[in-house]
Amino acid sequence: MLKVLRYLLIGLLVVLAGFPVYWMATTALSLNSELYGTGQVIWPQLQNLPELWRELGQVPIGLWLFNTLLIAAGGTVLSLTLGSLAGYALSRFRFHGKGLVGFLLFMTQVVPEALILVPLYAMFITFGLLNSLIGLVLANVGFSLPVACFVLKGAMDAVPYEIEESAIIDNCPRFSVLTMIILPLIMPSIAAAAVVAFFAGWNEFLFASTFLMDRGNWPASVGLASFVGQYETPMSAVMGAALVFSLPAVVFFLLIQRKIVAGLTAGAVKG
Amino acid sequence: MTGSKIRNGMTRLVPYAFILPPMIYLMVFMFWPLARQMYMSLTNTKIINPNRGRFIGLGNYERLFDDPAFYLSLKVTLLYAVLAVIFGVALGVISALAIDRPFKGRSIVRAILLFGWAVPNVAASLIWLWMYNDRSGIFNRITEFAGIGRFGWLTSIDLALASIVAVTVWQVAPFVMLVVLAALQSVPHEVREAARIDGADGLSTFRAVTLPHIRPAVQLASLLVCVWSIRRFDIIYLLTGGGPVGTTSTLVVKIRQTAFEGHELGMASAYGAVGLVLALAIAAVHYLAEQRRMKWMSR
Repeated sequence: MLKVLRYLLIGLLVVLAGFPVYWMATTALSLNSELYGTGQVIWPQLQNLPELWRELGQVPIGLWLFNTLLIAAGGTVLSLTLGSLAGYALSRFRFHGKGLVGFLLFMTQVVPEALILVPLYAMFITFGLLNSLIGLVLANVGFSLPVACFVLKGAMDAVPYEIEESAIIDNCPRFSVLTMIILPLIMPSIAAAAVVAFFAGWNEFLFASTFLMDRGNWPASVGLASFVGQYETPMSAVMGAALVFSLPAVVFFLLIQRKIVAGLTAGAVKG
Repeated sequence: MTGSKIRNGMTRLVPYAFILPPMIYLMVFMFWPLARQMYMSLTNTKIINPNRGRFIGLGNYERLFDDPAFYLSLKVTLLYAVLAVIFGVALGVISALAIDRPFKGRSIVRAILLFGWAVPNVAASLIWLWMYNDRSGIFNRITEFAGIGRFGWLTSIDLALASIVAVTVWQVAPFVMLVVLAALQSVPHEVREAARIDGADGLSTFRAVTLPHIRPAVQLASLLVCVWSIRRFDIIYLLTGGGPVGTTSTLVVKIRQTAFEGHELGMASAYGAVGLVLALAIAAVHYLAEQRRMKWMSR
């Protein structure tokens, strides 16, 4: 009896969590006449796949995804570089102001992006970074760098000091110790930090929609949002594009879910 | 002798060589803008010339505190955060408990339960907009079929905030579930078994054995969900744009609208200053609750 109840509960949760994604796919595979007239068919109509493909051709989803890719990749490289420096300093050294550094990094996690939107806008006007992907990346990294730092510091803490000790005694520069000895040992965590930073840039909307006016620079998040309230693009194409945009994020998040949670809750639950 | 002294001095500088580049970066792109936005809130800066505003003292704040829209926005922000925490955490904990023990197909179920968290915000907004659609959305098709008529899920004053909270819960509950699942692994199975054999029913086993183990995880998840609710912009902006009549206009939506639709950067910064106070208050709670995490950071 209890077992039946438990399976019913699990079934209900699966429907609640899975339905919106299922509906996104079903809508993408529907015809406009169904969506606005006769009623949406509740199972996916795979025979409409060529029709969806044709409709997607009218949306500049390729260009948008390319811009998204540039923004996400640039942000990943920058936040991993700076994050590994900060992570190494916090993991291996005692220094004045360490408590302050920890506090400031922690602070970035409660600051709403909207708070620095206006000053960044003013700053980007001054330096000619408005409407540029570089400016956008610089803004994004302020938020993804600390998360990368937490993930990497946690991983470096688990590497025994003895491993780098002999290299340090041999007068090997500390920077080389980091790049040649430590980083290769924590590759799985670097990969996790990279995925987190990459999809932070992939999903970002507020900065992108404010700083990029030129349609040619739009990432997919801004491009997709431009469909809201306009009715020329068929709903099936909108959902198809949203699906293409979501797929990489879903796949990678599911692959590294445990690492992400460990990064965001680092030091809080265990240790 | 001198050589080793110099080397000692150099060695003491080494950590700064590592910590300074990232900290300078954060100073330029995070903390300087934060300070600047506090200053801007004391000026009459307009969007046409954002680098030149006249200092007007507390003028923006006087207008702010006279404006009923401000109090509404504050109320909406707090209400939204509280509702998101209550329902998101409840659903997340229930999900974690439901799939904690192994069963057939568990990994697939687990993956599906994570969908809401993995789908990008803009894509999530688009699908929920379609489901909430007045004429053709699935929800109104269901309610119409059930004979209770259509609802303005996003356009009615009574429903809009609840509809936004529903989307938010769909997005955050999976995260809560993951954090709680990780904590559940630390509950010794023997203890739970022993409690059951001694005749404790499910609820009292949960309260006496499971709950103490997952309490720190639930606390942390609640704080994070609260912080994220105050930061969240995209889904609210895309689903309702802050409407109807301001019933979903949280502080961050208000900041963006005042700045880039109302063109008043000074006034937007005043909203931002209030948002900062709110964020700091939560950070303080966060900080007190997480002494341990801070120690971990600077250990």
